Amino acid sequence: MTEEIIELRPMLEYESVRMWLDGLRQHWGGDPAADDPERLPILEAFCRHANVDPDGIIKGTTMVKDGENRIRIKGREKYAALIDEFQASVEGSRFKKAKWGNTVRSFLIHNGVLLAQGMER
Amino acid sequence: MEFKQVIGDRRSIRFFDPDREVPRDKIQKMLEAARLASCAVNAQWARAVVGFRDDLTEDQLNRLKTPVAGLNTEMAPVHIHWFLDAGVVQRNEGRPLKELVDVGALAPTHGWSHKFVDDFVYPQILKPMTMAENIYHRTAAFDVGVAVCQALLTGVDEGLGVGLVTLNGGVLKEVFGTPDDWIATSTLLVGYPAESADGGGQRPRPPFEEMYFLGKHGTPFPRDEKVVAELKAANMIQEQAKPNDPKRIAEIKALAEKYGLPM
Repeated sequence: MTEEIIELRPMLEYESVRMWLDGLRQHWGGDPAADDPERLPILEAFCRHANVDPDGIIKGTTMVKDGENRIRIKGREKYAALIDEFQASVEGSRFKKAKWGNTVRSFLIHNGVLLAQGMER
Repeated sequence: MEFKQVIGDRRSIRFFDPDREVPRDKIQKMLEAARLASCAVNAQWARAVVGFRDDLTEDQLNRLKTPVAGLNTEMAPVHIHWFLDAGVVQRNEGRPLKELVDVGALAPTHGWSHKFVDDFVYPQILKPMTMAENIYHRTAAFDVGVAVCQALLTGVDEGLGVGLVTLNGGVLKEVFGTPDDWIATSTLLVGYPAESADGGGQRPRPPFEEMYFLGKHGTPFPRDEKVVAELKAANMIQEQAKPNDPKRIAEIKALAEKYGLPM
């Protein structure tokens, strides 16, 4: 049985994407979507790569236990691996690859999912 | 560097220059400073294993990296892993105290003698204390912290950046082959800072009066502004970091771009 391909709505319709942009705005200032017009298309490309919508990513990496938000360890590991895979699949320089991977990591970080990446050297 | 300046300049560094080697003599100076720290009953619980990052295998480095401290650990060229040697008191059976008696640090004027140590202090206080792990480990860990602090400040005095992190004790034990009775406390990351030396300013602290009391709890220790001015002049109290400081934000952005980090 083949997996059904997910249909994505415009990225800004997702709560987790708005949370991400709010976090970027609060931390770095400016207009995150306009300052780097690649941000939303990169996240969308990752969603297609992983066949999941943005809110689904956050749902897969977090949970509520005893009334508190928690990070799902297995979900975090799964998406860390998917992001690595996505980053490796990007054509171009290692800086471009790193930018694409880090854009998705940034989406998770500003949604409260710790996903530190190593350096690109 | 003046002592007060060293205290004022210290920051927990999180961006190390990953490519700038740290001379081994500077690490030795940090360890020498730790060895001279004050320690209850002269027990000397502090032990350390120095790991040069580039001597580790990729697998070892990856195992050391925790989610919170992973990047710092990868960036820092030197890791000093501090342990508490829980077996040292029973192994020494009061000998370090008797050495203090011999050199006149502990004298009969204060009730100290070899016999007092042999008949009372070791068998009736120290040995039983080692059985009560909760109290014993807390006491010992406090003194390891004092030693680590001396090492850390010496690092700053040597022009290095330092930052404490907590790594997985079980992994440290496996990677470095430490004895069973060594308990991992903290890891001091060392390197040259890639971020500016002032790191955007001294980090926020609770008000002095909420932390320190005079005579009894609830009566704040009065903070004399003349003393504060004196310490500012000595650069111990420096400008505090401000939220959303454009200069600091620009610096972090530049570091993120340089090292390919998420924003």
